[in-house]
Amino acid sequence: MTRFLFWRLITAIPTLFGMSLLAFFIVSLTPGDPVMQELRAMGSAFSPEDVAAMRAEFGLDKPLPVRYVLWLGDAVRGEFGTSIASGRSVIDEISIYLPATLTLAASALVGAVAISLTLGIAAVSAPRGVAALLRTFTVVLVSIPSFWMALLLIWVFVMQLGWARLVGNGSLGDLVLPTVTLSLAAGASLGRVVHERIRAEMCEDHVRLAIAKGQSPASILIRHIAPRIIGPLATAWANTLGALLGGAVIVETIFGWPGLGQLILQAIAQRDYPIIQAYLVFMGLGYFATSLLADVIVIISDPQLRRGLAYD
Amino acid sequence: MFRAPLTARLAAVALFALPIAANAETSLTIAVIRDSNSVAENNFTLTTRGPAAQVVETAVQPDENFVPQPLLFDSWDYADGIYTITVHPGIRFSDGSAFNADAAIAALRLNDLRKSDILEIDPESFVKLDEMRFTFRSERNSALVIENMTHRNTSLFADTADRANNLIGTGPYLLESYDPKVSMTVVRNPDYWGTPRNIDRITYRYIADDNARILALQNGEIDIIADVTPQMMLSMPQDGSVVLHESRPIRYLGLSVGINSVAPFDILKDVTLRQAVAWAIDRDAIAEVLFDGRGVPAKGILPGWMFGLGEDHTDGFGYDPEKAAALMDAAGWTLGADGVREKDGRKMKLRLVAAYPNVTTVKPVPEMVQQMLIGVGIDIELIEVDDAGVYDDTYLEPGQADLFMEMGSNNNTDPTYLLSMLYTTTTPWTGYRTLAPGAHVDALLADARSAQTREEVIDKVRAAHRAIVQDDLATIPILLVPNFVLSRPGLEVPMSEFTDWIDFGMTRVIGE
Repeated sequence: MTRFLFWRLITAIPTLFGMSLLAFFIVSLTPGDPVMQELRAMGSAFSPEDVAAMRAEFGLDKPLPVRYVLWLGDAVRGEFGTSIASGRSVIDEISIYLPATLTLAASALVGAVAISLTLGIAAVSAPRGVAALLRTFTVVLVSIPSFWMALLLIWVFVMQLGWARLVGNGSLGDLVLPTVTLSLAAGASLGRVVHERIRAEMCEDHVRLAIAKGQSPASILIRHIAPRIIGPLATAWANTLGALLGGAVIVETIFGWPGLGQLILQAIAQRDYPIIQAYLVFMGLGYFATSLLADVIVIISDPQLRRGLAYD
Repeated sequence: MFRAPLTARLAAVALFALPIAANAETSLTIAVIRDSNSVAENNFTLTTRGPAAQVVETAVQPDENFVPQPLLFDSWDYADGIYTITVHPGIRFSDGSAFNADAAIAALRLNDLRKSDILEIDPESFVKLDEMRFTFRSERNSALVIENMTHRNTSLFADTADRANNLIGTGPYLLESYDPKVSMTVVRNPDYWGTPRNIDRITYRYIADDNARILALQNGEIDIIADVTPQMMLSMPQDGSVVLHESRPIRYLGLSVGINSVAPFDILKDVTLRQAVAWAIDRDAIAEVLFDGRGVPAKGILPGWMFGLGEDHTDGFGYDPEKAAALMDAAGWTLGADGVREKDGRKMKLRLVAAYPNVTTVKPVPEMVQQMLIGVGIDIELIEVDDAGVYDDTYLEPGQADLFMEMGSNNNTDPTYLLSMLYTTTTPWTGYRTLAPGAHVDALLADARSAQTREEVIDKVRAAHRAIVQDDLATIPILLVPNFVLSRPGLEVPMSEFTDWIDFGMTRVIGE
């Protein structure tokens, strides 16, 4: 396992390098000028000298390849520069908002897992009519855009029932509606994976033997099916966590949740290069970390794989 | 045992409760679209920008016609590039220190450290005359330094070490808390030197989503929405749960012309054709639609009331499609069989890019203009962009369009500001050089900026404005629209055309 992890980390280096190239050049080549955006936002007259001084301050007067090398050197040391718009260090900016995004993504994942297991198992075990209804319900949930679901939930739980507030302060109570919004779509999508995996396993000989021996459905699910599907499901959950980390932008904005979503939207509008580049790098690292975690879970849950790695 | 009747007991309770009610804290929660504050050492804008600018004050304040009036400075004289200032007596910063000539000089010197030195004061020129008077010199002999002091970014504050994060000002409010991107709260300054504000506590909430702002207002979670988009006006409930407050029209909606655009976007270099486009636009029809009918047809991009410019120096263009057609016929652009005009085998096809700052601000005007121009034989390729960066870099700067739809305003008491920034060949907003009519407008605005009296400045601005919107038609004015604020019922918001100067602290709570 240690050797596997070591090689996974080594082989990740070119991936991360490619990711840094993409993050830097995509952002730098996007139309728009961060200096001009910032100076115009001030709503006051400025001179060409002001523009030149600000370009030099943020290193934008240097050729692109030079800027990349300097940026990469700093990034490796954990230095991502200063936000052009706010004047704070990028690490400070991200550390202000990252906890809220992590909290929302983690709670949404917990919700999504609960919903997916409920929907997936119910769709297999329920009578045919109910199962068809559940599958339709799942498709509807997957199809509804998250911003629409958010507005629907606001209308019901905030405007009609008064059970929640829209303008929160980042407290746990304010987490409920954004969590539900994200969990429903992600949970429905994962529920289809759960459903398909269980159905596939039910055709396997060891499960059919257990059914023939008269074991209870719960016992079959826990002892015969769960150990075999936990690996693939962990991979799906890890991918979902990565998607939730990067995909909560709209939901965070609608609910005013003080996460990275609001930071990145504003940074894109203002062409705040240092923030956008750091955000892309952190999101890439997040995806890498979650996929690594999924691999580890797969190995732990699969004795054959464990043995195979041991022989390697 | 004696017990008072129920009514008497209730009356007694009410009597004791009255003083409490009279002293009850008044508070407002105001939704603003984004937190754009910076704490950078050379550009800190915390509480000096936007609706939260209540902790610090500017040297002077604009009156209803954008003319500077006394605030921290009582009076000022200008001659030969030298300003003599008298500071208002009896003012103290919130830390108790006196605001006098020394404090004013220290505060003005801080402006020189900023990225954008609006005031252009020679930092070596300050001379203290006595406790309350001092002089300084304009770096470029400008008579407009006091005008520029109405800009919130020039607010004066104590020269303290942590000024970027914790401003010590003279304003009617004190900063209580600031949670970046979430909220900012200010509380009434009990020792404020000027007129006390009506509201004890104001919390600004940063809510980016239009729907969320409207729903939060309807749900009673916020009291006022400071940033109102056309989409919010369209979805505004008509049941009386939301009240609209509006200023006089100040923002212009116009079609800027790419006078210096590159081929094939060079058809409108002929001013006759620009006039034809101007006559082909039905401004009344557009006024009925945009912002729910609250705009007015425009003769210029600066309203007549602003700076006392007056209405007479521009004539404007009415809606006269026949005249538009005649102008194009006279210029040799005749109607083809397909309904599109042509000349020497070239079709009259124009590219219209909408819009700055974004297309959602002006919807559905681009489509309306497209149909109006098609009606007189001008084929329009409509490109809609919702991002100022793409607008600037892809279309404006390289001159890759004939027409640019823009909404903006001279949200600044410097009369030369908007025209200089948008229509000169030397503007630092380099993309706008595409719109510049040429040397004659450059000269008019340079003269305005170097004029030594306000009257002379305004005369030159009138001439430049007429050149831009009438003679050269660098911009074809369409509408002037107000600024808007939405509130819950029962609030009287003191509107201002200058959005930074809407004094939310002076909001009156009525009927409660």
